[in-house]
Amino acid sequence: MDGSTISDLIIATVRMATPLLIVALAELYSERAGMVNIGLDGIMAFGALVGFLVCYWTGNPYLAVICAAVAGVGVNMVYAFCTITLCANQIVYGMAINIFAPALASFIYRVVFGVSSTLAQATLMKTVAIPVLKDIPLFGKLLFDQTPMVYLSYLLVIITAIYFNRTKSGLNYKAVGEYPKAAETMGINVIRQKYIACIICGFFAGAGGAYLTTCYVNTYSDGVVAGRGFIALAAVIFGRWTSPGVMMACLLFGFFDALQLRLQIGSNLIPYQLFQMIPYVMTLLALTLLGNKISGPKANCKPYFREER
Amino acid sequence: MKKIFSLLLAVCLALALTACGGAKETPAPDSSAGAATDTPAKTYKVAMICDSAISDGGWGAACYNGMVDAATANGWETAYTDSIDQSAYADSMISYCDLGYDMIFAPGNQYSDAVVQVAADYPNVFFAVLNGSETLPTANIASILPDAKQIGSIAGIIAGTMSKSNVIGFIGGMELDTTKAKLANFESAAKTINPSISAVSAYAGSFNDTAKGMELAASMINDGADVFFGDASAVDSGARQAIDQKNGTGAIGIFDIGQPADLLGQNPCVVCSVVTDNAGMIGLCMKDVQSGTFGNKVVYGNLENGCVYLGKFNDELVDADTQTKITDYVKALQDGTFGK
Repeated sequence: MDGSTISDLIIATVRMATPLLIVALAELYSERAGMVNIGLDGIMAFGALVGFLVCYWTGNPYLAVICAAVAGVGVNMVYAFCTITLCANQIVYGMAINIFAPALASFIYRVVFGVSSTLAQATLMKTVAIPVLKDIPLFGKLLFDQTPMVYLSYLLVIITAIYFNRTKSGLNYKAVGEYPKAAETMGINVIRQKYIACIICGFFAGAGGAYLTTCYVNTYSDGVVAGRGFIALAAVIFGRWTSPGVMMACLLFGFFDALQLRLQIGSNLIPYQLFQMIPYVMTLLALTLLGNKISGPKANCKPYFREER
Repeated sequence: MKKIFSLLLAVCLALALTACGGAKETPAPDSSAGAATDTPAKTYKVAMICDSAISDGGWGAACYNGMVDAATANGWETAYTDSIDQSAYADSMISYCDLGYDMIFAPGNQYSDAVVQVAADYPNVFFAVLNGSETLPTANIASILPDAKQIGSIAGIIAGTMSKSNVIGFIGGMELDTTKAKLANFESAAKTINPSISAVSAYAGSFNDTAKGMELAASMINDGADVFFGDASAVDSGARQAIDQKNGTGAIGIFDIGQPADLLGQNPCVVCSVVTDNAGMIGLCMKDVQSGTFGNKVVYGNLENGCVYLGKFNDELVDADTQTKITDYVKALQDGTFGK
């Protein structure tokens, strides 16, 4: 491995980890309020479509990401209403979102572009280099010449860590996920907090989906999300419900995915399926080795009945 | 509250009923007109199922267009279901069979098992499997088989002639028999022209993950590959995007070979395409259905019958001499004298 291969590997890692990271952080905000949302994949798919469409029409990728984020909130509100207000099972409704949202996205794409089979291509977000940092030798150009979405997602990791550990409002937020009844007696509006969590989750999951179609590839095709929502879900557990942990998990997965693609190209004799397993095997291995000492929010996945004793 | 609700329901029901009534009225004049002119000519119907999207700018698009073109030429009606999972192959086909479709078009070898299963239950519906194996056909199943070896060889000829770095790249979706044949012949044909060429290849493990196509192509470019060929639908579009990005705004030095439609002009990096005339082959199947001679056969597509051919060249990237060279090689391939 020479220098250019290594730097190529690093930049591919960052590129592949970013959509995972944004969506994993979305899930982190959701689960910290006790809302397990396995519908991330669906919200991403819808965000990817809305992002692509807005970008295609306006040529403005920033507006596209914002619209996609808002659309993500819209989709997630279906989940929020059913699970918070109606106290339905979170897993079932998350799954429903996974089936419903990509189908809706696919339908809208078909309505907009008809059955014409030409490939629609939109503009991509330009990279913005950070003045001083980009001149760092070796990796400066790679790590600090990215799209603003990449910087924002890493900034979000820091903000999230500070918010959940150093602010009163963050601790209140976490209390809702740990022991909602106690939180309620302390004057925290649990229902409102859960809705806020779902809004944040939908916002970032939609934006994460839009990252795929506004910063990564310039086309939309059904299945463009390709299971990234589920990887993000795993990254939250892997990352122990903390934002630095989640970031490490996403980078690790991105690294092994980028690595397996490169290993595959290098060898013809070994079946490619073996390489494709690598990121998943490493995730499994890491989960097993880390054990389950720190579990997630106590009231995770449990519906909250305000008047129940 | 309840009263309002029941009232609403009643209104909905009434509306639904009138809507039904309205729908029934429209086809009536048609059938009476048909009876009056004494032409009870049957309108044949064909349906296609597809695991990628028909708007993927690659495989799905070419197959769908092929079906529509063949249907227009033969006066058939069409329908399709796309982006379905493997678990839905059989169910989708059964639905079309129940709806009275005459022919089901399954564009890929991966549907073979589901087709065999459904075809046994619906002996009066005809199934055409693109890239189906030679042993697949029964009384109501026919295989449409474009010659994967020739397709691979043609791409290999283009790549072997165009490559300056002596490294060529191939990106597959899944490890299908046809994909493997394309890869093997792509490599060997290129080596026949230029023995110092080496081919790098990888599989995306998907036909939809555009981003993965980008990553694969980017890393192959890093390894020095300068001519690409792919067999992976939407993944190919990702690969072309990576190539275009690498080429930037300057001179185009990294090329892509399109398939199965003529993709010239879709991306700046496309130098030429290996075109498979799906419409021609599906049209042959449709004629068989109409004449009652469908089944128990393989409809081949190759250079000889014109169902596989070299697409248009990108004149800016391929000079006249090279074009002639490639065309001559392809002619030799057709005559069986290539590499001999």
